[in-house]
Order: sequence, then structure tokens, then C-alpha cells
Amino acid sequence: MTIDLVEYLGVGALLFSIGFYIALSKKNAVGVLIGVELMLNAVNLTLVAFSRFGSAEVALSTQVFVVFIIAVAAAEVAVGLALALVVYRNRHTISVDRTTLLKG
Amino acid sequence: MSDFGFHLAFWSLAAMTIGGASMIMISRNLIHAVIWLVISMLGIAGLYLTLSADFIAVVQVLIYVGAISVLMLFAIMLTPRAERDNSQTAVRTPAAIVVILVLISTMWVVVDTDWGPARDGALSEQARLIGESLIRHYILPFEIGAILLTAALVGAIALARQDDEDAAIHADSLQRELDGESDLDPADVVDPPLAADVEANS
Repeated sequence: MTIDLVEYLGVGALLFSIGFYIALSKKNAVGVLIGVELMLNAVNLTLVAFSRFGSAEVALSTQVFVVFIIAVAAAEVAVGLALALVVYRNRHTISVDRTTLLKG
Repeated sequence: MSDFGFHLAFWSLAAMTIGGASMIMISRNLIHAVIWLVISMLGIAGLYLTLSADFIAVVQVLIYVGAISVLMLFAIMLTPRAERDNSQTAVRTPAAIVVILVLISTMWVVVDTDWGPARDGALSEQARLIGESLIRHYILPFEIGAILLTAALVGAIALARQDDEDAAIHADSLQRELDGESDLDPADVVDPPLAADVEANS
């Protein structure tokens, strides 16, 4: 068998599912951010696989799109970690189970 | 022979990526989880190389392995009294069901779709091509991305910095808490453990 688009897409789907589970189930806010990063990376891997194996017109634009996703992910993680720091300063915990101020 | 080498590279990098991600799920210590994230990201960078996307691979190593993981380690170390433990919330069973449904549906799409004949087209001179299209075709998104990054950096600094007065009080109370002579009632600052936590820990 040859390594083809399907294998890369399978790895991407599996990685996305693991990241999704981590983002949904972790208690620590930093753990949730790690899960979100894994999901973004799975999407990037899928896009790069399409760039390599897909039609020639999209080969360049998918890679540019990946660069934009990485930039937005970096901005997201910087703001997310700053928010975690502020929540810790006010509540002395960053557990998502315990930051329940908005709970009715 | 080179085909065998390619197979070996793909499967070992895929195992590194998925294994690293699974270890984040399993590991109990948050710092270990970040180290496993680094390993997983290195695996993805290797997979980009097998896809001959060398520019993206270098960017991945620089930003994810270099910057984001260090930022996460700093965030963990700046929240010293928060729980180090990487345990899971009470919603993990419904989360697992949702995730398994997502995995089954995406895998079904991957296997069932006819992706057409594979094109073996690696771009040559990617850094030049990406750079040129960024400042020609994608100039507006590029500028918006620049503004976004600036706004995010300023916002992160504005959120994370504290006034000098607050900082002095905070450092003082933190020092006393670390010394074990907190004048705050612990019940005021940390809620009592949730029933789900107690259940999970017992």
C-alpha cells in the first residue's frame, strides 16, 4: 500500500478527536488550551495534505491559509493564557469546574 | 527502498503525533502534558516534511515547539497555587460519547469519499511563493493578521500586568500563603471541593 491522502486525513481526524476530547474534559484551563491547539494542528495537517495531493490551483493557497491559522492560534493562546492568569489572580484557581461566577 | 524509508518515516511520525496527544490525555501532571504536546508538535512538523511542506514545518517548530509551549509553561508556573493536576471534569463520559461520534463521522467521510487521482505535486521554492502571494494576492488578510497580532499582544499585556500597588499586595499575600500563614480564610479564596471531584478522587 502507498501512503496517500487518506492516511494523512486519518491521522488528522484522530488528532482532532483527541484534541476535542482534551478540550472538553480537562479541568485545568491550560489543559483546555492544549486541546484547542491540538485541534488547530489537526486542521493544519489536513490542509497541508490537501495542498500536496489535491488539485494544483489550491496547492499554494492552502499553505498560505495554514500560515494564517498559525498566526491566529498564536494570538489566541497568548490572550487565553493571559485570561487564565487574571482568573487565577482573582479566584486563586484556574479549574474550569470552579470558575462558576456566571452560574445562576 | 526509498519507499520503505518513506513508510517508516510516515508511520513512526504518525505514532509520535498520536502517541504524544494520547499521553496528554492520560498524564496526570500538567507540566508533563506540555512536554508531550511538544513531542506531538514535533511529530506534526515531521509529517509536514513528509508532505514536502518545508516552510510550514519550520514555522511549526519555531512557533509551536519554541514559543507556545514556553508560554504555556510560564502560565503554569505563574499560577502556583492552582492545581497542577491534569485531571478531568465530571462531563468526561458525555464528552467521550460526542468525541467518538465525531471521530466515526469524520473517519467515514475520509474513507468513503472518492478523493480522485492523487496528484504528486510538491511546490518548489515554497518560502518565495508564500511570501509573494502574501504581499500580492493576500495583502488585506496579511494586514488584518498583523493588526490582530498587535491587538492580541497589547491585550495580553494589559490583562496580565497588574498595578504596582496590587502587585505589592499580591506578592505579600502570596508569600504568606506559601509560608503557610495566610490571613485569608482558605474557604474564601478556594471553593470547597465539588462533589464530583471527591467522587473522582476516592
